[in-house]
Amino acid sequence: MGFAIQHLTELKKKGSATLFPDTIKIMIGVASCGVAAGALPVMAAFRQGATEKGLPVMITKTGCAGMCYQEPLVDITIPDKGRFVYGRITPAAVPAMLAALQNNDIPDGALFRYSRHECLLDGTITHYPVPDKKNSAHTVPLMQTVPFYKGQYRLVLRNCGFIDPENISEYLAQGGYHALATVLNKKTPLQVIRAIEQSRLRGRGGAGFLTGLKWRICYTTDADQKYIVCNADEGDPGAYMDRSILESDPHAVLEGMLVAAYAIGATKGYVYIRDEYPLAIERMGQAIEQARDAQLVGDHILGSSFSCSISIVRGAGAFVCGEETALLKSIEGLCGEPHQRPPYPAVAGLWGKPTVINNVETLATIPVILTKGARWFSTIGTKKSTGTKVFSLVGKINHIGLVEVPLGTPLRDIIYTIGGGAGLDRTCKAVQTGGPSGGCIPEHLFNLPVEYDTLAHAGSIMGSGGMIVMDNTTCMVDVARYFMTFLEHESCGKCTPCRVGVRRMRELLDGMCKGTASEQDLYLLEQIARVVSTASLCGLGRTAPNPVLSGLRYFKDEFILHVRDKKCPAGVCNNLITYGISLSRCTGCGTCIKTCPVKAITGTKKKPHTIDTSRCIKCGACEEVCPVAAIAPC
Amino acid sequence: MITLQIDNVSVTVPEGTTLLEAAQRIGIWIPTLCHHEALTPYGGCRLCIVEVQEGATTRIVSSCTYRAQNGVHVSTCSDTIVALRKGILTLLLAEVPQSPVLQELAELLGVEHSSTFAPRNDLCIACGRCIRACREIVGVQAIDFAFRGYKRVAASPFFERSEDCIGCGTCVAVCPTGAIRLHDIPAGARVELSDGRQVEGPVRVIENWKVSFPFKRCSKCGEPFAPQVQLEYFTKQAHLPADFFDVCRECRQ
Repeated sequence: MGFAIQHLTELKKKGSATLFPDTIKIMIGVASCGVAAGALPVMAAFRQGATEKGLPVMITKTGCAGMCYQEPLVDITIPDKGRFVYGRITPAAVPAMLAALQNNDIPDGALFRYSRHECLLDGTITHYPVPDKKNSAHTVPLMQTVPFYKGQYRLVLRNCGFIDPENISEYLAQGGYHALATVLNKKTPLQVIRAIEQSRLRGRGGAGFLTGLKWRICYTTDADQKYIVCNADEGDPGAYMDRSILESDPHAVLEGMLVAAYAIGATKGYVYIRDEYPLAIERMGQAIEQARDAQLVGDHILGSSFSCSISIVRGAGAFVCGEETALLKSIEGLCGEPHQRPPYPAVAGLWGKPTVINNVETLATIPVILTKGARWFSTIGTKKSTGTKVFSLVGKINHIGLVEVPLGTPLRDIIYTIGGGAGLDRTCKAVQTGGPSGGCIPEHLFNLPVEYDTLAHAGSIMGSGGMIVMDNTTCMVDVARYFMTFLEHESCGKCTPCRVGVRRMRELLDGMCKGTASEQDLYLLEQIARVVSTASLCGLGRTAPNPVLSGLRYFKDEFILHVRDKKCPAGVCNNLITYGISLSRCTGCGTCIKTCPVKAITGTKKKPHTIDTSRCIKCGACEEVCPVAAIAPC
Repeated sequence: MITLQIDNVSVTVPEGTTLLEAAQRIGIWIPTLCHHEALTPYGGCRLCIVEVQEGATTRIVSSCTYRAQNGVHVSTCSDTIVALRKGILTLLLAEVPQSPVLQELAELLGVEHSSTFAPRNDLCIACGRCIRACREIVGVQAIDFAFRGYKRVAASPFFERSEDCIGCGTCVAVCPTGAIRLHDIPAGARVELSDGRQVEGPVRVIENWKVSFPFKRCSKCGEPFAPQVQLEYFTKQAHLPADFFDVCRECRQ
């Protein structure tokens, strides 16, 4: 053990040196959100510019800091001036920033600055300098006062956007692998399980099963071989928490897996990552390699008698493989189809052996619980839902990004305070939680605290954490139709209710959106939804009707308008709307005439124009370009 | 041994018995479709669902896959179960309204055919009996499911001629809806298949798997009596003498 620990101590020192260097440090967010927004050319521009100018700076990669709507994010620490974060940086903006740095100045336009960095796991606090009062950067808001961060509690995302995900040293320097070393040295598997039970941590994949109980069941099942599996087959549209964690802090997940493996007695682990996440696969692969070199994965971990090998399995693109029994079949090389539980995987899983399957976020929480203590953890959140939860805020919302809040935080705080509400002066109408398996929660229930049980009671589910915000331009019938189309495609087809029922629901909803459905169809839709939700084989089928059922529960008026009056109040369903021009508003500018692709609009200058509804294809282009908002669907 | 209550009747069964088998043992009928006593349980059609009450929790499970457990209370015909079964059968009947097996079940469960939805072009209800029979009884694995979701269908690899099929017809025997089209065409006869091809006997054709097998002729009477490939497979599997199937069954007697 001596050699390994000494090696880790050296690595840790190296990590501290790169996290808090004596020179200027420029960190660029290169998780998928950053890369998609163009972070790589920005990084190249910084590298090239710094070399040309001969500026002694350290340029490193980091993961997602959560503010995806401001990507590419650049985080600059100037030793005697402070740490500043800049958003939406383009390569063109780089030379001016470098020039400022060369002049010993603070580049203009920072979004916020940090006053300090607190390492969550070991509690050490590093203070950053405060910019001089004469400097305009002094007025840059502090990170903890920015509404986006103010209500957040970054526990799972503790390292995201701060450390270099490709560098194990920086993870170690932030207290990483301390939990594993302590567990191997001082704790029995049962003590570990007891700690997780005391924390009352519930699975973050969606169903909210108690993690400690799952581990205990697996621990008490006798077998010659056990497995630990990390479920990173995140497939809900709009959800990307797991991707960001794997891309920004893969070692946290790996450490959680190793602790779990030790607790249940597993010697082999698999990380099942969907193949649509190439960067997550790459970074997790690197993390495993680095951990192996540091004797943290493989035989005799840290010189102890505990051995565990970890490998990556790439998912092949089936949504249903996120369901645990289907996932196991997929790892075995068989067709990814669920089968009925019991037996539960913790008793008979991979190749019939006891297997614990935990979600990425659950596993990334484990090192925190073991380092900070179960009691400390259980004080966060609510009594029945302890800890924090990461959500991806997407849809019609101002601040699209990754946020982490204590469980029990009201939806309103997440959507309005952190998320900044719906964009374009529109009003929020509903939020869809839990992806295709979840439901839509209407605006009047936004005071609900986000907990497993309250969300289920409201007809939705916690799910993995995707939150799709909808505004008044979203049609709830169309939303239900979208999710049924998704699930029709993703149903494995093994059981009748899901295979046929979901198809039928999609057909009925298609009819409603097209204006061919009757009120009888609405009744039929609800009936089929009830059969699918109770009689299906696996979780996918049983939760599939949620978007329909919650839509019918909270937005029945909208459904009735579609089938009875053939109207779509949100102006989304093409067959149910006609475009009209307000005579009082139209100034006769002619912009719409030029834009209309089918020449359906006519009129003379400075006189109100008219739309020939028989030619109109309802593309909505005129509505978008009208400078006085005179055109609208009705 | 395990003792449980099914519809308030106490029954004791060996460990590993499914709820369906336990119910059958005391004469309780549960409708099934994908179930076949010679095949491994599948749990796909969901017609055999029952309510299992264990302590305070009630769950709906397929009785063909759920193993009996001590002390549980099983309800095979509660209002919920009856309504759900009707719902499932309504979905299936709309798929393949012409199937006699489904029509019979519909009559038993009181389900009426609704023409709201268009029926399938074929008769396959994706119960997987053919696939399991081919794998588990014949030991060949000539067919499997293709696609997923609503498109899911039993098929030969890539919908091409199955190279492993031996033309034994076990799949046809277990199919509940008659979805597999097998033709035994006698010598001298010509038959037109659904794809328009003309086939001349003596031959066995299974259209679904795109296979045709010439018949072997009896060395005594000269009559064609079984697909040559099938006889070769059986000879090999059962370690029979090479000339075992040279004569037909009638001539051997």
